[in-house]
Amino acid sequence: MGTENPNRPNFPARPAVTPFAAQQSATPFLSSGSVVGSEAPPFRPVSTASSQFSTPPFSAGSEGPAFRPPPTSRSNELVRPPPPSASYGPPSSGFQHFPSPQMPSTGQLPPPRTSFTGQPVVPMQTRPPPGHVSLPSQPQPPSVPMGSPPQSIKTGQPNMNIPLSADQHFLPSRPNAQASSPPMGPSYATPRGTFQSAFPGYANMQPNSVAQAPTMQPSSFPLQQGNYGPPAPSTPFLSQQRGYTPGPPMSTPSGLYTGTQMQQHGIAPPLANSQGLAEDFSSLSLGSVPGSFDAGVDVAALPRPLGGDVEPKTFAEMYPMNCSSRFLRLTTSGIPNSQSLASRWHLPVGAVVCPLAETPAGEEVPVVNFATTGIIRCRRCRTYVNPYVTFTDHGRKWRCNICSLLNDVPSDYFAHLDASGIRVDMDQRPELTKGSVEFIAPAEYMVRPPMPPLYFFLIDVSASAVQSGMLEVMSQTIKSCLDDLPGYPRTQIGFITYDSTIHFYNMKSSLMQPQMMVVSDLDDIFIPLPDDLLVNLSESRSVVEAFLDSLPSMFQNNMNVESAFGPALKAAFMVMSQLGGKLLIFQNTLPSFGVGRLRLRGDDIRVYGTDKEHILRLPEDPFYKQMAADFTKHQIAVNVYAFSDKYTDIASLGSLAKYTGGQVYYYPNFQSSIHKDKLRHELARDLTRETAWEAVMRIRCGKGVRFTTYHGNFMLRSTDLIALPAVDCDKAYAAQLSLEETLLTTQTVYFQVALLYTSSSGERRIRVHTAAAPVVADLGEMYRLADTGAIISLFSRLAIEKTSSSKLEDARNAVQLRIVKALREYRNLYAVQHRLTGRMIYPESLKYLPLYGLALNKSTPLRGGYADAQLDERCAAAYTMMALPVKKLLKLLYPNLVRVDDSLVKTEEFDISKRLPLTIGSLDTRGLYIFDDGFRFVVWFGRAISPDIAQNLLGEDFALDYSKVSLSQRDNEMSRKVMKILNKYRESDPSYFQLCHLVRQGEQPREGFFLLTNLVEDQVGGSSGYADWMLQLFRQIQQNA
Amino acid sequence: MAWDPILWIVFSIMNITLLGLNFYQFLGFSDLEADYLNPYELSSRVNSVIVPEYLLQGAFCILFLVTGHWFMFLLSLPPAYYNLTRYLSQQHRIDVTEVFRVLNAEKKTRIIKLGVYIVFFGLVITRTVCAGTFSAMLSFLFPNNEELDFRTSVLEF
Repeated sequence: MGTENPNRPNFPARPAVTPFAAQQSATPFLSSGSVVGSEAPPFRPVSTASSQFSTPPFSAGSEGPAFRPPPTSRSNELVRPPPPSASYGPPSSGFQHFPSPQMPSTGQLPPPRTSFTGQPVVPMQTRPPPGHVSLPSQPQPPSVPMGSPPQSIKTGQPNMNIPLSADQHFLPSRPNAQASSPPMGPSYATPRGTFQSAFPGYANMQPNSVAQAPTMQPSSFPLQQGNYGPPAPSTPFLSQQRGYTPGPPMSTPSGLYTGTQMQQHGIAPPLANSQGLAEDFSSLSLGSVPGSFDAGVDVAALPRPLGGDVEPKTFAEMYPMNCSSRFLRLTTSGIPNSQSLASRWHLPVGAVVCPLAETPAGEEVPVVNFATTGIIRCRRCRTYVNPYVTFTDHGRKWRCNICSLLNDVPSDYFAHLDASGIRVDMDQRPELTKGSVEFIAPAEYMVRPPMPPLYFFLIDVSASAVQSGMLEVMSQTIKSCLDDLPGYPRTQIGFITYDSTIHFYNMKSSLMQPQMMVVSDLDDIFIPLPDDLLVNLSESRSVVEAFLDSLPSMFQNNMNVESAFGPALKAAFMVMSQLGGKLLIFQNTLPSFGVGRLRLRGDDIRVYGTDKEHILRLPEDPFYKQMAADFTKHQIAVNVYAFSDKYTDIASLGSLAKYTGGQVYYYPNFQSSIHKDKLRHELARDLTRETAWEAVMRIRCGKGVRFTTYHGNFMLRSTDLIALPAVDCDKAYAAQLSLEETLLTTQTVYFQVALLYTSSSGERRIRVHTAAAPVVADLGEMYRLADTGAIISLFSRLAIEKTSSSKLEDARNAVQLRIVKALREYRNLYAVQHRLTGRMIYPESLKYLPLYGLALNKSTPLRGGYADAQLDERCAAAYTMMALPVKKLLKLLYPNLVRVDDSLVKTEEFDISKRLPLTIGSLDTRGLYIFDDGFRFVVWFGRAISPDIAQNLLGEDFALDYSKVSLSQRDNEMSRKVMKILNKYRESDPSYFQLCHLVRQGEQPREGFFLLTNLVEDQVGGSSGYADWMLQLFRQIQQNA
Repeated sequence: MAWDPILWIVFSIMNITLLGLNFYQFLGFSDLEADYLNPYELSSRVNSVIVPEYLLQGAFCILFLVTGHWFMFLLSLPPAYYNLTRYLSQQHRIDVTEVFRVLNAEKKTRIIKLGVYIVFFGLVITRTVCAGTFSAMLSFLFPNNEELDFRTSVLEF
């Protein structure tokens, strides 16, 4: 049900919105006005002013004559026809809210217009300078147009009529006009502030409107434009305009209210509903999907994210100059304007940042070199120049958008402003037009010369490493990657192997063969030949290759089962500490020798459910945390590859990766015959992906808000400085915001993520992502602008952190509780007015939140108790999830399930997007299914699958035990097709290799392990199914509601 | 009777040292927050004084018990118990990697401890003065000692 409804509701909503769009157009002015005060006209909107103006207004003008006659009656009619009509009727009441500020102005102005009569006149007036002059008084006229625009849109009738009617009606019945009109007003005088605030929200609703807005520039025009809509092309302007808006100091509070009230609270005031109701209904049908759970749940109707992650589009449309959402996602694009509002929103307010996310071809981040001027930054808050800064004083000064300090423009960076206040060299300045830029940093940004890319390998060569084949696969892979290591010819490389002793290798380029040196004094580690252990790859290439070739055979007969991991780690630290770099650890057994040895503390069932449970998930020996801190201090990132079939205490080993910005790869029970491809792919990716070295990251944001907590794999160097010895595209970081002031007075909050790093080529660079988000005063608006993906990403990190200080159960309950609180708050907003008893309502933007919450509670780190997941797997998954970007996390939580047998038999192309709900009901015994969570594939063979398919895919092995069979390409059409599908999935996400597990229906326990426990909608073990979960949430929401 | 004022002077010295150690830690955390210190320095500084502080506080507490000052002993028992549990659960040291997560809590405990020690300081000083009045000799020595103590503690800051 829920899924269906959303669309419908939209329609009604849209008409209402349209007017707003018009408003938006106005906003640009506002911003200008607000910022500069008088500057309004000059706005940045790069688009040529002339074109903009002429089109909308004129059209209106021509229409104008027609308008007058039809006046009132038409307007009403027009209004009604659209679905929202009901809403409109009431609108008059809406005015009441707005009253004081707008009214006065309107009162004055309206008459003028009417008097002018010639409606054509009206448009005329607005456009020309008069608009500016009259600004203060004008507010009304704008309002009038506003009202009309919506109408026109809805009815589809000629624009002409509408405007007239609007005027007439409005004058008398202002309330209506205002509601619709607010946008207009803002463009002009004081009202601006208010309008602006309101707009953002509206903007989201309709993308179209945005396009129109740009044309607006002349303050008067906005209204008309809104109506006419057509001028769309200029979308970019909108964004700009908004960005500029920041200033509107004046009326913000009032403005906010108007915006918010209209939508949600409009309801409360009886009459005001006109607009409020309209909005409300729309949101009802749209956003809040009613599902009645009383008489059983219609499982099929529950919302499911079968389309994958949906990035919030509205946000980008509102602020086109924002960085892409692949770099930065906010949990809600509406920043609460007060602490009380923030506390009512129960979900986290924050951001998920993936600073080096891979960009599709053509969208690369532009690189800017400020060699002559030095990087332009704000003197006070150190913000980097970005598209939202404004230039004033003929281009000699620029105003920081974050702290609003007026900075001087260096003479080398100076450029004249054109008539609209835009720098004439705007097009050549990516830093002024793009949300993401990379600056080349001069020497001031270096504490030492940029380091070369450095890869150091710490390899366990004990008996199990040799027997599992890990050593061989690893050395082959490293050898094959030598050509692709980034940073040629500066790349450095080195190796240490260890069992119960530590083996160093002299790789000096003058040698033919590497020289091995064994150190067996583990208590007092010393480094033999400190200079030749770490060598330049291009110089010592042949020695390195000789080493890798001989490594597996060297230890072939090693029967040593001990592992002096701690001392080896210290040795590696000593070798690397001069330069930093990346340390890859290949660990096969539990560290058993020397410092840092770990006990087989194992997974004790008796501990689960007690206060000591979480200790299992913490590093046992403080040595590991201490080492991790030292590594970070010396710019060393650690990646841990663990292979053991027994307990290896990933909790302890992984903390090395956690605090150094690294990653944990866990291959339980590694066997080269099975896991070869996975290790090969993932190790190769780790070695060859573009990496940023010795990086630090900081997120700046506007006054009044502050990032307080950070979540992910890294270490904080100071309260807001994230130290990242190595970063790459597969790492994301989350942060939570808090409001420092009880009431925000700005209209927009800006965020700037700056990552200072050394590129593999040895250049110091700063990657800067800038984004703006509107401040809202209304809870409903926050919900509407919410981003489920980012929220879930933050939730998962919070929950995982919680598992290291309390029980799994507590962590799960915390997730559930927050979802319940959030939905209850939302329900309180709407339920009473609409008598929704027996229905669960939630905003459209959060419709998947409950399901993802359920999936999160069933994810490996959080699920069940003792028997539901191995402790090591839990910890490894937790470390992985702490670093996953949003999209990959969502895929892991709600994996793809597709049926492929149909397309195998038929000739049609396989439709990769036909995802099925993750429930056992989706599985047909005659089918062949692929389950893909981004980390592995499970291919499920139904019991009654046609033998033809099985035989074609598996050859003669189809009757064997599937755990021993692997899927490989065979010489027939079906097999090729399946492999093509799998490869397609793999290519879509290269960060991990999805190993294929074949499972036959009814084959226990493999089926249960690989598939059934991952069908998140089903009831597994003690956890609830989707329908139960919803019912449970619903009951809790209703308690104390 | 002469040893009583001496004892109280010892108490007040111990108390002032405790105050100093605590204040030192508190300053460290404030500096960290203001970015004057990095987490590495902070943890090494704070960790170097934590165990001495715990020991001193334990001695302080036990000395009251041994000398039969029941009331003071009972008063000093809660902080001693708190220290003991922290120590036994291995939570007394500052964890470099997670400093910022515990920063506020640690600051708060330092402030509370400071408050507790100041209360003790008041009590100890009044007792010292009372004890001092019995001994004319000590009563005129006392202010000198007090000054000295102050100076050492101030220097430490």
